[in-house]
Amino acid sequence: MSNNTATFEITVAAGESAPPSNSFSKTDEAIRYLSTILPSIPSSLSSSSNPSLSLLHDPEISTHISALLRRPSAGTGDDNLCRWLYDAFQSGDPGLHLVVLRYIPLLAGAYLSLATLWRPLAGFEAILLALYSHETTSRAGQPVTVNVPDMSHPSLYHESTSPAKNNSTALNLSIVSPTLEPHGAVRSTRRARIVGVALELYFGKIHEMPKSSKIDFCEFCRVWAGDRDDDRNKQSDPSRVGEVNDSEDGVAGRRIPLPWELLQPILRILGHCVMARWANDKEVFDAAKDACRSLHVRAVHDTNAKAILAAESLLRLGNMASLELTNEDEAADPTEIPTTNILTLN
Amino acid sequence: MDSGEYEHDMASREVCANGVCMKATDVEAKLDEGNIQEAESSLREGLSLNFEEARALLGKLEYQRGNVEGALRVFEGIDLQAAIQRLQPSLVEKPPSKKGRTRTESQHAVSQHAASLVLEAIYLKAKSLQKLGRLTESAQECKSVLDAVEKIFKQGIPDVEVDNKLQEIVSHAVELLPELWKQAGWHQEAISAYRRALLGLWNLENDCCTRIQKAFAVFLLYSGVEAGPPSLGVQIDSSYVPKNNLEEAILLLMILLRKFHLGKTKWDPSVMEHLTFALSVCNQTSVLAKQVEEIMPGIYHRVDRWNSLALCYSGAGQNKAALNLLRKSLHKHERPDDLMALLLAAKICSEDSYLAAEGVGYAKRAISNAEQQAEHLKGVGLHMLGLCLGKQAKICSSDFERSRLHSEALKSLDGAIALEHNNSDLIFDLGVQYAEHRNLNAALRYAKEFIDETGGSVIKGWRLLALVLSAQQRFSESEVVTDAAFDETAKWDQGPLLRLKAKLKISQSLPMDAIETYRYLLALVQAQRKSFGPFRVNPQVEDDKFNEFEVWHGLANLYSSLSLWKDAEICLGKARQLRQYTAETLHTEGVMFEGRGQTQEALGTYIGAFLVDPHYVPCKILLGSLMLKMGSDALPVTRSLLSDALRIDPTNRKAWYYLGMVHRDDGRIADATDCFQAASMLEESDPIESFSSLY
Repeated sequence: MSNNTATFEITVAAGESAPPSNSFSKTDEAIRYLSTILPSIPSSLSSSSNPSLSLLHDPEISTHISALLRRPSAGTGDDNLCRWLYDAFQSGDPGLHLVVLRYIPLLAGAYLSLATLWRPLAGFEAILLALYSHETTSRAGQPVTVNVPDMSHPSLYHESTSPAKNNSTALNLSIVSPTLEPHGAVRSTRRARIVGVALELYFGKIHEMPKSSKIDFCEFCRVWAGDRDDDRNKQSDPSRVGEVNDSEDGVAGRRIPLPWELLQPILRILGHCVMARWANDKEVFDAAKDACRSLHVRAVHDTNAKAILAAESLLRLGNMASLELTNEDEAADPTEIPTTNILTLN
Repeated sequence: MDSGEYEHDMASREVCANGVCMKATDVEAKLDEGNIQEAESSLREGLSLNFEEARALLGKLEYQRGNVEGALRVFEGIDLQAAIQRLQPSLVEKPPSKKGRTRTESQHAVSQHAASLVLEAIYLKAKSLQKLGRLTESAQECKSVLDAVEKIFKQGIPDVEVDNKLQEIVSHAVELLPELWKQAGWHQEAISAYRRALLGLWNLENDCCTRIQKAFAVFLLYSGVEAGPPSLGVQIDSSYVPKNNLEEAILLLMILLRKFHLGKTKWDPSVMEHLTFALSVCNQTSVLAKQVEEIMPGIYHRVDRWNSLALCYSGAGQNKAALNLLRKSLHKHERPDDLMALLLAAKICSEDSYLAAEGVGYAKRAISNAEQQAEHLKGVGLHMLGLCLGKQAKICSSDFERSRLHSEALKSLDGAIALEHNNSDLIFDLGVQYAEHRNLNAALRYAKEFIDETGGSVIKGWRLLALVLSAQQRFSESEVVTDAAFDETAKWDQGPLLRLKAKLKISQSLPMDAIETYRYLLALVQAQRKSFGPFRVNPQVEDDKFNEFEVWHGLANLYSSLSLWKDAEICLGKARQLRQYTAETLHTEGVMFEGRGQTQEALGTYIGAFLVDPHYVPCKILLGSLMLKMGSDALPVTRSLLSDALRIDPTNRKAWYYLGMVHRDDGRIADATDCFQAASMLEESDPIESFSSLY
């Protein structure tokens, strides 16, 4: 724990000592380098008052970068875009961090789909490892645990009516994200964990992610789950499923093994897309609901009880939310004052 | 409401104060002319009000008829902050004054009246801003309502004295504020507003509090914004304080459920769904099971409840409990065709030979139901059927039956793979099934396919490949695979691979290399135990102990095979410290006695092992081999021992060999030949570790 705070202070100190213009110059530099990679860059970008925010939200840039990431040849060691993303993350600039995280769905999607083909993907791996080691340092390798409350103990929000006989009632401790050991390279048995950590980071910043990034993620979820439309619309050639289509759009992805270390962050991200209605519009909601449906089917295929429970409850919540959406006008706003015919002072 | 009625309603609306009433339409007419001051003065005169009262009424009138922009203009004309300032001194609770009680009480009433007037005005201003989409400003206004209330009532809102209207405004503001911050994208402000709402003394009614708790739980679960623990100020000694989002959300959801159980709120199905999501995401389905059990009867159908519980228990690894529930829910009078339940039941049964026959039944039902309900699940049904049949074959008493089950198992797995050709679990199971059937070429093909399909990300895939190669007696290739697997695994996961490697070295008659590998494995296991400490927060602690035991036991065997009795003794002693009485240690001990020529002691030890675990095959065989040497009187006993061993482990080449000896000594040469042939065939396809160790 003390380790953890120590590293934290160091980062803060480093951030403070840097001149305020530093982050701008870092972003400017990143934009300059990016302009050599992308076919074109909107001129508004460099004149923007907050260039990294524009970089995050600019639709033209994201279209270009997405197309590059979806190329079948993407992710190799000499991929310039990967180098750019790597440098942007390593710059330590929070704005640029967000820009890199914005592309994590696409990157993880392309990476996990290509990795099973034994292609060299040093470019993708460098970025994922950078994220992983960033998280390892900031957590000092410690696991994230959850201490599930026992209702017989009083808590911040409630009093206990029947005081427990002894104070040492065992709490249910569980690990949400296990210990992180440093990795210098992606070993295939650790691949899911490393990508999982990147997704955890993405979830931690998901409220700042643009809509298209979330939709990309939901679409990859369906592919990873091995979704075939015929599961719902029945009848079609099952041999089609999960094949890698290096079509003109680039990597289409394939069904992949979904161990819990991958599935858990995926479910949490989908939870945001389905339930955080204040932050998402209908398009994200619909894409996420489709993804939940695919994951639920996959969970039943794997007869994975935990995944069935989580995906099923998300699906039900999604359905309840759809109902609320359609009845939104009729729903009473509890914070509205009652309308009366006689207005009085009291 | 039709328009005629609405107009009638409009006409009958009135503005009342101090016992006098005015028609609302008259005032509104003035407002519509854009003349706020005139409207205000007509109210002041008509109802004898002061400036602020008149304005507040006007604003409310505008707000209620939906003219929020107009309302805002009216409210902006009042200096609300100044009004609050003026309110405060008069409301400070003074010590009982000389002038007596009655005076203070009436002053109180007046002040409350004034306070609610001002606070309502500010609140409506916030609502107007909200409706205009100016969320941040709205939140600031709303916050000032709460700040003012806190200043006015320093001890919290009194339960009885406060008038209804004031309480209503306060509750509304408390509930609205976090929503406004949230909508405006001010996440940290939203979090503190939620906590302020739930921890402050606002005297909220139950429904309102419930809504806030649920909204906060949803925010914590899904926003992705880490809230951080609540400030130390609100923490009370010895009470549970959540330290991250998940903990806080789970706590709130559990409180909501409890409120429902106590009959304080009405049932909200989404609360249970949120809790299910939260608890399964953090691997606490056993806690979830407890929550599901506590739900009052009548809310869920009993079959739904059983099925949810079964999922919870199965998720927590308590498969027996899960299966018992599934048996109830799949009973012919309940819901015998539920596909998910059938598949789960079949899967649980497929993990235990003694349940496998029951599992076959579930799997068959699942297949026939899938054909009608969900075609895509047919492959899963076939997969489960194959697994169950394979398991059932293991405890089969007749050879004929066994081989029939085996080929049926392979047939249904093949049927499954035709439907789901890229299901990696299925590919793996096929590989193992073929390997156990000693169809090593097919097994090899599937082992390779599994590694390709998973990109080498699953350790057991590497082990399967190495074992199949070792069964083909291709030891050096097997070692190459093991080394490749080392490159793809992190240090802590290498235990099973090292054990495999040690055994490979032994098979290649390189005992010194094997000892070296065991030493390395031992160091790894011990370092692992130390670095994770005695309190390792995952359930693998038992596994570690088992591993260390296994290492010592393997070393003891190795030393004893080299006749290094002293070393063997030491290792065996270490193994015994971890597990005192096991068939494995007794087995090694017996081998050592036998090696040193102490036949009687060896015999005693084997019989001991036999008593500890009647299903332990190696001791049966060794006992048989010893008895074999005791002459023809012991032959019947020997034969029954070996047959028993073969019933449990039909591919044990040593058992076949000694059985052949028995037949030879008994003069049944043809039978003996058959046995020897079986032994020699099996020897050519014997893996260095049993294939079932892969699961």
